[in-house]
Amino acid sequence: MIYLVTAYAFAVVVLGGYLLWSLRSLRDLENRGI
Amino acid sequence: MNRFEKAAAAAVALMLLAAAAIFLYAPTDALQGPVQRIFYLHVSSAIAAYGCFAVVLVGGAIYLRNGSLVADRFARAGALVGLVFTTVTLVMGMIWAKPIWGTFWTWDARLTSTLVLWIIYAGYLLVRQLAEPGRQAARFAAVVGIFGFIDVPVVHFSVTWWRTQHPGSIIVNDALPPEMLATFLFTMACTLVLAAVMIAIRYRIETLADGPVPETAKVLAAVSAGEAEPVQ
Repeated sequence: MIYLVTAYAFAVVVLGGYLLWSLRSLRDLENRGI
Repeated sequence: MNRFEKAAAAAVALMLLAAAAIFLYAPTDALQGPVQRIFYLHVSSAIAAYGCFAVVLVGGAIYLRNGSLVADRFARAGALVGLVFTTVTLVMGMIWAKPIWGTFWTWDARLTSTLVLWIIYAGYLLVRQLAEPGRQAARFAAVVGIFGFIDVPVVHFSVTWWRTQHPGSIIVNDALPPEMLATFLFTMACTLVLAAVMIAIRYRIETLADGPVPETAKVLAAVSAGEAEPVQ
């Protein structure tokens, strides 16, 4: 069970982290009016 | 909330539905137990990565043909998102391997070719990062992206070309019970939507980061596309 939880926790951190980071980068660029 | 944030929220909602299917609907594997549920996202991520690298291939080929900045931006976006999904595939696979094979890693053809795939596209992004921005870097990266794609069929067919510890395709061999197959297909569809949304967001970031296209770049692109004649 620990392996299952670790694997999905890793996927959530990587995919969710990447999605949040890219949305934040996009918002920063749009706010800067580039 | 802009349209990209709405699309991201929809993709996350779909992934939550996929998680519900994986943990609540799909039956527990009789042989491996609950750890087999890693399969659904592990394989879906691998397929999403193949799709992203296909975007790099097509974008690179179009860029080399007519100098399209749109194609180049799609290629850049596909490489980064593909690398994220390859990372998920590799690490989830390693975590799954430990209780089943007794080790996190073995130099099996499938695992090794997937690691090579990760290195190729990390190299692609490194080229884009380190080289002076411009047509030369874009051309070089396009060539890396096109030749790098050769590894995708190698990864996919490695389990049939070589004797591997990694199992062969159980989807085409009809080895999954209907509930597991339905869960897998739904998870794969949701993961592909997530990958498409990630590429769209990254494409927008690349467009904004590039800034307004200088007139000279537009003229050069038109000349290489044959839409304009260079002045002698």
